[in-house]
Amino acid sequence: MTDVASKPKGRMPLDLIGGWEVGLVSLMVVLYIGGAVLNPAFFGTTDALQALLRDSARFGVMAVGMTFVIANKDLDLSIGSTLGVIGVVFSYIFDPAHYNMAVVPAILACLALGTVIGLINGVLVTFLRVPAFIATLTILFIGRGVILGLTGGRSILFALKAREPEYRWFFQIGEYNALGFNNQIIIALLVVTVGALVLAKTRWGYETLATGGNQQAAAYAGIPTNWVRIRAYVTSSLCATLAGLMTVAQDKGITSAAGLLTELIVIASVIIGGASILGGRGRVIGSYLGAMLTALLHKVLREGVPIVRTVEINGQPVEVRATSTLPAGAIPAFIGALLIVAVLIEPYVIRRKLPQRLWARLTGGVPPRSLEIDSVAIEGAQTRGTVATDRALSARGIGRFFARRDALAITLWIVLWFIGLALRPDYWAGLPNTFAILLNYTELALLTLGLTYVIACADIDLSVGSVLALSGGVAAYCLKVLGLDPAAAVALGLLAGTAAGAVNALVTVGLGLPAFIATLGMFYIARGLAAWLVAGQQLTGWTEQFNLIGRKVGDILNYFSIPVAPGLAGRILNVVSVQTLWMLFVATIVGVVLAFTVFGQKVYATGGNRRAAAYAGIDTNRVRITALILSGFCAAMAGVINVAYFRSFNPVAGQFRELDAIASVIIGGGSIFGGFGTILGALAGAAVITLVRALLQLNIITEAGSFSLPQHWVNAFIGSILIGAVLIDIWVRQEGIIGRIRDALLKRRKPDRRSRDA
Amino acid sequence: MPDTPTEAPPIIDMRGISKSFGAVNALIDVDLHLRPGEVLGLVGDNSAGKSTLVKILTGAYHRDAGEVFIDGIPTHFRSPHESRDVGIEMIYQDFALCGNLDVGQNIFLGRWPRRGIFVDRRKMYADAGEVLTRLKVDVNSVYQKVESLSGGRQQSVAIARAISFEPKVIILDEPTANLSVMATERLLETMLELKAQGVAQIIISHRLTDIFQVGDRVMVLKRGENVGDRYVKHTNEHEVLELIVTGTRQTALTADEALAGQRR
Repeated sequence: MTDVASKPKGRMPLDLIGGWEVGLVSLMVVLYIGGAVLNPAFFGTTDALQALLRDSARFGVMAVGMTFVIANKDLDLSIGSTLGVIGVVFSYIFDPAHYNMAVVPAILACLALGTVIGLINGVLVTFLRVPAFIATLTILFIGRGVILGLTGGRSILFALKAREPEYRWFFQIGEYNALGFNNQIIIALLVVTVGALVLAKTRWGYETLATGGNQQAAAYAGIPTNWVRIRAYVTSSLCATLAGLMTVAQDKGITSAAGLLTELIVIASVIIGGASILGGRGRVIGSYLGAMLTALLHKVLREGVPIVRTVEINGQPVEVRATSTLPAGAIPAFIGALLIVAVLIEPYVIRRKLPQRLWARLTGGVPPRSLEIDSVAIEGAQTRGTVATDRALSARGIGRFFARRDALAITLWIVLWFIGLALRPDYWAGLPNTFAILLNYTELALLTLGLTYVIACADIDLSVGSVLALSGGVAAYCLKVLGLDPAAAVALGLLAGTAAGAVNALVTVGLGLPAFIATLGMFYIARGLAAWLVAGQQLTGWTEQFNLIGRKVGDILNYFSIPVAPGLAGRILNVVSVQTLWMLFVATIVGVVLAFTVFGQKVYATGGNRRAAAYAGIDTNRVRITALILSGFCAAMAGVINVAYFRSFNPVAGQFRELDAIASVIIGGGSIFGGFGTILGALAGAAVITLVRALLQLNIITEAGSFSLPQHWVNAFIGSILIGAVLIDIWVRQEGIIGRIRDALLKRRKPDRRSRDA
Repeated sequence: MPDTPTEAPPIIDMRGISKSFGAVNALIDVDLHLRPGEVLGLVGDNSAGKSTLVKILTGAYHRDAGEVFIDGIPTHFRSPHESRDVGIEMIYQDFALCGNLDVGQNIFLGRWPRRGIFVDRRKMYADAGEVLTRLKVDVNSVYQKVESLSGGRQQSVAIARAISFEPKVIILDEPTANLSVMATERLLETMLELKAQGVAQIIISHRLTDIFQVGDRVMVLKRGENVGDRYVKHTNEHEVLELIVTGTRQTALTADEALAGQRR
C-alpha cells in the first residue's frame, strides 16, 4: 500500500497555466502574422488589433455563458437570436419613433427578457426533457422570426437621441476611452474574470462540472442537477443579453441581421477553448482565447487580400487596386467546418493522445494508454418504455386508432383542412389553392422521407434545408455558369447533396461525433457553399427543358405538343405536378423498404438500442450511414426540383425547412430518441405542417378588410409547433402522461367512494 | 466479532418488511438486523429481493408494511438523503463518480468545503488524502482524474467517499462484480479495514467466497422471503448454497438457533 500523504504530487506547472491556452495563444500569433503578411494594410496597424479585441469582446462575453452550458453537457443555439431580440427590444423601447423611453427601463426590460429566454430553454431541456439541440435550435428560429417580424427586415437607428448627455453613460460602452481602447474590452475582461473564478474555484462551478461529467452521480450526491443546468442556460442567455446591449451601445441602433451566425462562432470558440461537447470539461479563459481566435479567423476571412488588377480602359492597360474578398457564404462554410474540426480535437487528440502516440511510433517507444474511448460518443444505449405502444395492444375500436403513433398527424391534417374550408369556402377547396398546397407539400414530403430513416436510427439531420440549397445551387450553377445540359446538371446537383449526406455520415458514424453537432456543422457549411457558389446572387435563365421537372403534367404534355384530354382527367393533369408524382414514387419505395424489409427492421433496431442491435450482428454503422446518405439524397432531389419549379435559384431556398421536416417526422409518430417513425406517418406529418403554413398565410377577409400573417411570424409559429410535437412525443406517447393523470384522478376518487360506503 | 454478538443492541432492525410491485410480491414479511461493527452478507438468487430490501432501508423505495428501527428509533425515510443523515451510506454498483473530476473532488462531491465564496482546495485535498490513508487504499494522487483509474481503484474512491461521511453503516451492492481478482483482493482488505474501525456493513454479493472472507453473518433471501441466516464461523459455503436452493420459510432458522442446534 502506498502512503498517499507522502506523495504530494501537485499539479504540473503546465497544467496550472493550461498547456491548451498556451497553444491557443501561439496559434493566434501565427494566424495574426499570416493575416499581416496577406493584408499588411489592415493587419499591420494597431487599429486591427483594436478592432479585433473590440469584436471578440462580445463573442467573449457570450462564450463565458456558453462554457457553463457546454460543461453541463448541454448546448445553447439560441444566443444568436437572443442577441438580436435584445437589440431590437432595446431599440423599440428607446427609439423616439417607437416608445421613446429612457435607457434604464429599456435595460431592465432586456434583462427580464433575457432571463425569461434562459428559463424557457432551461425548463424545456431539464424538466420537459427536450433534447438541448432541438429546444434551443427552435428558440433560435423563433427568435429570428420575431426579429424580422418586429423590424420588418429594416434597421432601427437612433444616433441623434443617443448623443443626448443623459444617455452618454450607456452609449459610452461602445466607445473608445481615454486610455485608447474600447470600453467593451473592459466589460469582457470583467465577465471573463468572474466566469473563470466561478467555474474553477466555487461550488457553483464544481457542481457544473460534476453535472456534466455524470449527471446521475451528481444527483446521488445531492446536487440539484436540473437547477444547475437551468442556471447555466440563464447565465448564457444573460451573457447574450449583455452582448446585445453592447451591440446597441456601439451601433446606436440595431439591424435585423444582428447576431446572425453568432451561435456558431461562440460554440466554436468554446470548443476550441478546450471544452468538450460531451460535457464535464470547460475553461472560461480558454473560451475567451477561443473567441479571439475565431474572431480573428472571421476577420482574416472577411478582410480579404489586396490585389492589383489590370483593367483595359480605352485600350490602355490601367492598374487598379482592389481587395479580393471571399463572397458572403464562405465565412459560415469555413466556421462550420472549423466547428466540426474543433469538436474532433478533444476526443481524438486529447483523449486518445494522438500526438503522444505519433511520437511514440516515430521514436519506436511504447504508445501511451488512451483514456477510456467508450465515452467518446454520446450513446444512449437503453430502450425506452413507450407506454403508447403498450396501450395500442389492448385498445379497442376507435381507441385503437388513437393509440397509433401517427393518429395525431392523421387527425390534425383532416381537421386543419376543414378549418381552411370554413375560413375561406370560396377559395380553399379550389384548384389553384390545392395546387399550391400540393407543391409545398411535395418539397417538404421529400425531405421527410430521408429524415424519417435518420430519426428512426436515433440520429438527427439538421442540415436538410441547407443541403436542399446546396444541390439546387450546384444544379443552377451547372446550367447557368458552366452551361451543361439538364441531365448533367441534375446528376451533379444530386451528387452534391448526396456528398453532403456522406460527409454527415462520415463525421457522425466514422468519427463518432453526435449527429446533431456534425449536421449542425453541415447546416452552416452547405448553405455557405451554396451562397458562395452563386456569389450570393439569384441565378436564373436557362433551358426550359430542365424546368420541366418542376411543372404540371399538363404543361409537360403541352411542351411536347401532346393534346390534353378535356374534362376531369385534363383538370387533374393541370393540377398534379410531375414532382408530386415523383415524390409519391420515391415515398412508396422507401416506405415499403422501411416497413416490410429486413433493412427496415435493422433501422428500428439500431434506433431502439444500438448496442443490442450490434450484439445481434447488425452492422449498425452501415445502417446509420445509409440513412444519413439517403437523407442527403432526398434533400438533393428536393433542391433540384425547387430550382426547376422556380426557374431560378435563390441562396435562401429551403431556409427553415429543417424545422418543418423534423416537426413533420415527430408529429407523424417518430421519436426524437429514435426507434420509431413510419413513412406514412411522416407524410401525414408533412401534410399537417404544410396546411398550418397555408392556413397562417391565408388572406382572411373580414368586414374590416383582408388580413394575412407575415411570413416571419409564420416561421416563429412553426417553431413552437416543433417544440409542441417533441413535448407530445415525450410526454404523451412515451410517458403516457394522459393515462397517468387519469389513474391519479381515479385513485383520488376511489377513497371517496370508500368513505361514502363506510 | 465476539462469539456472543447478541449482547449489543442492533443498529438496524427491520421487522416484517413487505413490498409489492403491482402483482409481484418482491418482499414478504422479511426481517433484517445488523449490529454495530458487524459485516452481514446478503445472498440469494436473482429476484430474491436483496436490492429491494436495502433500497427500502435507504429510503429509495417505500415499504408497504413493516417497521424500520435505526438505533431503536422508528424511522420512515422518504429519500436516500434522509438515511445518509443518520449515517447509512450506500455504494452503488456503477460507483456514481464523475470521471472528469479528480479523486479529491469526487470524494467531496456535492459538499466541497468552502472558504468564503470559493472552494477550499487545500482543505479538500488534505481531507481527501486523510480519508484515503485511513482506508489504506492505493491511489497515487488525490489530483488524479477518476477516469484514468482502474475499476478497483474507482471502487476504492467510491468507498472513500462513503466513509468520509463518517457513517455507521455502509451498504455495498455487488462491490466485486466488475473487478479483477487482484482488485477484489484489495477491496476485501479495505472492507476488513473498515470493519476494524467499527463500521457495520451490508454486502450484497453473488460471490459466497467474498462473504466468507470478510463477513460475520450471512443472510439468505429467496423469492422475497427469509430462509434463514448463519454465522460465517459456524457454517460453510455448502450449507449456504443449500439454503439458497432448497430453503423455505418453514425451515428457516436464525443464526442463533442454528448455532444452538449445532452445540446441542
